Amino acid sequence: MSTFKPGWKPRSEMGVLNKPHPRVDGPAKVTGKARYAHDIRMPGMLYARLLCCPHPSAVAKLDFAPAMAVEGVIDAIALEPSETRFLGQPVAAVAAESPEAAEDGLRAIKVEWEHLDWALTPEQAEAEDAPQLSTRGPNARTARESGDLEATRAALESADFVVESTYRIPVQHHVCLETHGHVIDFDGENATVYASSQAVFAVRAEVADALGLPVDKVHVRVDYMGGGFGSKFGIGVEGAAACELAKRNKRPIHLMLTRRDEFLMAGNRSGAKKTLKGGATKDGKFIALETVTHRHGGFGAGSNSPQPYIYNVETFHTLDRFVLTNTDAGRAMRAPGHPQASFAIESMVDELAYGMGFDPVEFRIRNLEDPVYHRQLKRVAQEIGWYEHPNRTSSAPVNGGLNVGIGFGLSVWGGGGNPSRVRATTRIEADGSVSITNGVQDLGTGSRTLLTLIVAEEFNLQPKQVTARIGHSDMGASVGSGGSVTTASISPAIKDSAENAKRAFFERLAPIMEREADQLMMGPGGEVRAVDDATRKLSWREACSILGADAIEETGSGRPELAGNGVHGVQGARVEVDTQTGRYRVKKMVCVQDCGLPLNHKTIKSQMNGGMVGTLSFGMLEERLLDPWLGTAMNADLENYKVAHSMEIPEMVSIIDEDDTRQQVIGMAEPTGIPGHSAIANAIYNACGVRLHTMPFTPDKVLMGLLENA
Amino acid sequence: MSQSQNGGEASGVTRRGFLKGAGVAAGGLAATGTMAGEALAAQAEGDVTRLSGKIKLELRVNGDKQKVEVEPRTTLLSALRHRVEPALTGTKIVCDHGNCGACTVLMDGEPVCSCITLAVQAEGREIRTVEGLADGDRLSPLQEAFVEHDAMMCGFCTPGFLMSLTGCLEKNPQASETEIRSACAGNTCRCGTYPNVFAAAKSAGERMSKGGGK
Repeated sequence: MSTFKPGWKPRSEMGVLNKPHPRVDGPAKVTGKARYAHDIRMPGMLYARLLCCPHPSAVAKLDFAPAMAVEGVIDAIALEPSETRFLGQPVAAVAAESPEAAEDGLRAIKVEWEHLDWALTPEQAEAEDAPQLSTRGPNARTARESGDLEATRAALESADFVVESTYRIPVQHHVCLETHGHVIDFDGENATVYASSQAVFAVRAEVADALGLPVDKVHVRVDYMGGGFGSKFGIGVEGAAACELAKRNKRPIHLMLTRRDEFLMAGNRSGAKKTLKGGATKDGKFIALETVTHRHGGFGAGSNSPQPYIYNVETFHTLDRFVLTNTDAGRAMRAPGHPQASFAIESMVDELAYGMGFDPVEFRIRNLEDPVYHRQLKRVAQEIGWYEHPNRTSSAPVNGGLNVGIGFGLSVWGGGGNPSRVRATTRIEADGSVSITNGVQDLGTGSRTLLTLIVAEEFNLQPKQVTARIGHSDMGASVGSGGSVTTASISPAIKDSAENAKRAFFERLAPIMEREADQLMMGPGGEVRAVDDATRKLSWREACSILGADAIEETGSGRPELAGNGVHGVQGARVEVDTQTGRYRVKKMVCVQDCGLPLNHKTIKSQMNGGMVGTLSFGMLEERLLDPWLGTAMNADLENYKVAHSMEIPEMVSIIDEDDTRQQVIGMAEPTGIPGHSAIANAIYNACGVRLHTMPFTPDKVLMGLLENA
Repeated sequence: MSQSQNGGEASGVTRRGFLKGAGVAAGGLAATGTMAGEALAAQAEGDVTRLSGKIKLELRVNGDKQKVEVEPRTTLLSALRHRVEPALTGTKIVCDHGNCGACTVLMDGEPVCSCITLAVQAEGREIRTVEGLADGDRLSPLQEAFVEHDAMMCGFCTPGFLMSLTGCLEKNPQASETEIRSACAGNTCRCGTYPNVFAAAKSAGERMSKGGGK
């Protein structure tokens, strides 16, 4: 019945989608009614806290007796293994009647730490006398190698202009405002879990495993969650500890990390040192690139997107290595590996362009085959004021005043989904109410809202007439929200369920309307009418009233043709540098982003703002600091780990690239978080001739550069 | 961060005075209603002891009187989230160090970080939390503008921003963008909704100055 499976309507015919809509859970979020895992309260609930190792590597000998003597402390357990491999690794957990008592209990634990050899920084880990941190191999290892080294070196020899630079990217933190954690309510047979998670169904599987239950006895809820950014997929040590405490005490356990725990043990974006040697010909062709990357992913391998990243460089070689240290393993974070790759290549491209006297926009266009980048670059250049800018082929002369500079950066992402893994259900009741149900979580991206919009479009209803039910593992299967796959995964299944419900509805209405089901259609305001006779119609309420207690309930899944894959994105930044002090302000940022068919303009633009703010913060401020001599963390708190606030925020222009006419839904969150800091670094160079090779771009680095150039 | 957010002089309880007052409570006097007064009296008498044990307080939150039992170290944030019944969990715990503003409440109309304000300091004050902004189902102009302008994503910072900006706009609905930015300079949003927050506050201020809300 092809008439019932028509795909997305043409954009011009859409009444709901492809327009801006406020999020449906806005009122809950502005009144404090939205309940996050942190906010769950239950009779008899215990508050738990973790004891995190204050040393890079040690064996913990724990005496819980003093902790158990603290008023309000109910239980204390040791966590495996007792031998820690990273600074901040949890070794014990305490459960108590109040959060304060749990903290008292932690402090009271008598711990003897037997110190083991450690290496906290990559330099320490690569030193000759460094301890071997893993039994699986040396501290520094090759992750992958690609390209032709000999040909690359020969091409570099033949190039008219060559630049070699080393770029340093620090470890950054996710800083989810809601720390990681769960409330586990386990009665011995069933467990209800309130999780701050990006993956409802992954949590269910892991909790079932930890509690020794079949998955159908575990009920996971993520009604609201306070930010994940890639760090909240599994239950982690904290979830396993909460399960163990719940089993032992037969009382609900509320275990949310403290802010310090969050910094030390709940993930980070891996840092990197990247040495690039790039060569170009005098006609502006980027012909050769040799790259050596050292990823700094703590006790993990870290992430890296390989060079030459987006650019079409004929001959290249990349050697991608990682260095283990006694710090928490990196996790996925807002386009894993991409912001690091972006900073190195966008800086290199600019260094080549300015070095040869090219306009960096023109130089980019010459080295990008994909025309989408050409159009997006030109659009951003126009919006940011590049074409009126006086210094387009060299940096501005420095004379001690305020200098304006402009820079650019590009993104690339997949954004496709797995619609076949999603089952959504549309219900239509006799009173006209409509609901759409799927287990997916909403991280703040607006997925809850999206469900209502897609169904409203199908029936020509107002979005507020549709109720979305999400965030529960007892609902239809859904995907974890990583890789910006959510929109492209759930939208087709939701649409499919709505189409199925419409078809079932029309079949029920057919005898009354005296037409075949496929001769019925939706009219304005949800009226149902005959295709051949607009006067033969029922209002939505009239039509629904025939359903009685036998509501329409139809499931949908799959429909991969409704989603696409592959997005671009360009950003520009305009800065104003005080060439006497090195202080600067980002005055304006522009993002042009394609995303296939844009379903909700408002939440898409919010994502773009969020991506730009994230990279601005990353570029200007963020850096994990460790003390390599004492083996301690220096800024595991929000006082000393700086993130962007209201005063750093520039004018922001977020533009959906409507020249992308694909009638397919594609995720677009992550690409917007890739290139902003690269654009800022390039803008600082353009303003004052200071090339920053090390993030973050603090004013002292700009000032040192100004002094060196003077 | 204003002085009142640090629980300094502006809050009416000096640090010295608090320690003295603590002595009175520990001495067996029920510390209900006049903690600050007793603290000052104790200070005058030169009595120096520390407050300890459980203290019964009455907090005035969103117009309701709430009897709670706290410890001297219990923060106002913890009292709201863990001691008040039913728990007022709209006010969020994020940094617990006064760095991020997520726990902002209004104390006698002034924004304070409730994570670095002791519950005993809040006695006798009028506390307003995010739960007290709407009039029944009717959202305040600022809440409404937050929804319209999509000034939130995950929503975890939202209560803190709303309280900081309510404090600002109720005093000066015609606040400029610079004043709006400065009023929420102590609030962290990690999703990056700032541009929409500024736009929402500006539009709510305009509505409020036309008399469209309190």
